[in-house]
Amino acid sequence: MIHQFQKYLQEKIEITDEQFESISSVLKVKKFEKNEIVQYTGDNFKHGYFVGKGLLRAYSIDAKGKEHILQFAPENWLVSDRNNMNNEPSIFFIDAIEATEAVLMPNNFMEEAARQVPCLQPMQIKLLNNSIRFMQKRINMLLSATAEERYLDFIKLYPNLTLRVPQWMIASYLGITPESLSRVRKELANKHFRP
Amino acid sequence: METKQIEKVLKAPAPHMVGDGFRVHNFFPSGYKINMSPFFLMDYGSKIEFSARKEPRGVGVHPHRGFETVTIAYHGAVAHHDSAGNSGVIYPGDVQWMTAASGILHKEYHEAQYSLTGGPFQMVQLWVNLPSKDKMGKPGYQAIKQADMAHFDLPENGGKIEIIAGNYQGIKGNANTFTPIELYNARLNKGSEATFNFPEHFNTGFLVIEGSIKVNGSETAAADNFLHFKNEGEEIKIEALENSVILVLSGEPIDEPIVQYGPFLMNTQAEIHQAIEDYNQGRFGYLEE
Repeated sequence: MIHQFQKYLQEKIEITDEQFESISSVLKVKKFEKNEIVQYTGDNFKHGYFVGKGLLRAYSIDAKGKEHILQFAPENWLVSDRNNMNNEPSIFFIDAIEATEAVLMPNNFMEEAARQVPCLQPMQIKLLNNSIRFMQKRINMLLSATAEERYLDFIKLYPNLTLRVPQWMIASYLGITPESLSRVRKELANKHFRP
Repeated sequence: METKQIEKVLKAPAPHMVGDGFRVHNFFPSGYKINMSPFFLMDYGSKIEFSARKEPRGVGVHPHRGFETVTIAYHGAVAHHDSAGNSGVIYPGDVQWMTAASGILHKEYHEAQYSLTGGPFQMVQLWVNLPSKDKMGKPGYQAIKQADMAHFDLPENGGKIEIIAGNYQGIKGNANTFTPIELYNARLNKGSEATFNFPEHFNTGFLVIEGSIKVNGSETAAADNFLHFKNEGEEIKIEALENSVILVLSGEPIDEPIVQYGPFLMNTQAEIHQAIEDYNQGRFGYLEE
């Protein structure tokens, strides 16, 4: 699993096996059962997660008890609550939709890595930019896109999740009602289905 | 004729839930790594009691492509709906043979009346692979009621062999298949015997649904065991040690590469990606939840 994380990093940034070796001693691997809560809102967690196998989701629950999914993290995705980095309590729950194996990455992992191996610094910024870009796109989608545009963007980003998570979770991620999602899928079928 | 010997008697693996309505033991491909091609998967719902419930348990809308699902009911009742417009109820003794081929959406729930009363539930679902040339064919649906099922009466009130597919003692089974398949429900009364003949190269297995049997005069097997036979010899003799029901499977292997992802069974990774894309884009049609 650690090796999978190494491969993931090496695809994104230039880091040699030796450099990875020198910073990887703080990484731990943990297994979560299906439906297990990985972290709770209000707690202060010391690490984020790299999913090697399985599926995590980060979500909040509003005053009416409704769940809002911020992010799915299937294989080769990172998920963490950045509030914890500022020593503020987390605002999300994270739980395992499927049995999951994840690498626990200390919150200061990239920072420490860049300190120990200075040439990683630009790479660390690259990863951060990537993450901000993703969030900007997501906010823009939620503010301006139609339900169909959101769904089409979702299946591009997460092609196989339509087979792995229930409809209501996809609707929750898209910020639309399950009925709207159903309507979108029906309209797509009307457009594309040729019996 | 040479006797076809048992390769191994396999116990039911630990069960898991499919949706909230089907508690199944997967004998293959997860439970045991055995070659049963053209049968790709066998989920066996051993007999359990479901409590009464107003809202039927089951599995919601999901897709399939590249194979056929064959559902065989022993206890309880399942209601089925699919995107090709087919629907029906599978009662004990009935068989539903659904050809997903190029793609279908379906849902399977406990039938409303059964759900209201609850009671024993026992079922088998098989995934039968399709040869490459038929994977993208038109979806199909064969509902086979027990009352209409072709059967062979065993001598001296020994019971009967119901022929779902294939040919037993010259009697042809009801289902049309894409490759040579023999599929029977053998219902034997205590003390009676039956003989089966399958080509050596066919992959063959018997699932004991009820009772217990003696096979080829030696090995015995009780309910919930699966007998996997060798690809040598042709003749299998069974004797019922009590009133017994045995699901008999035998088929000519499909010698083609297989790539499976979830509910899709294709020949290449590219075809799997295409299946996911087609499903997401609505090319499987639509079915109300």
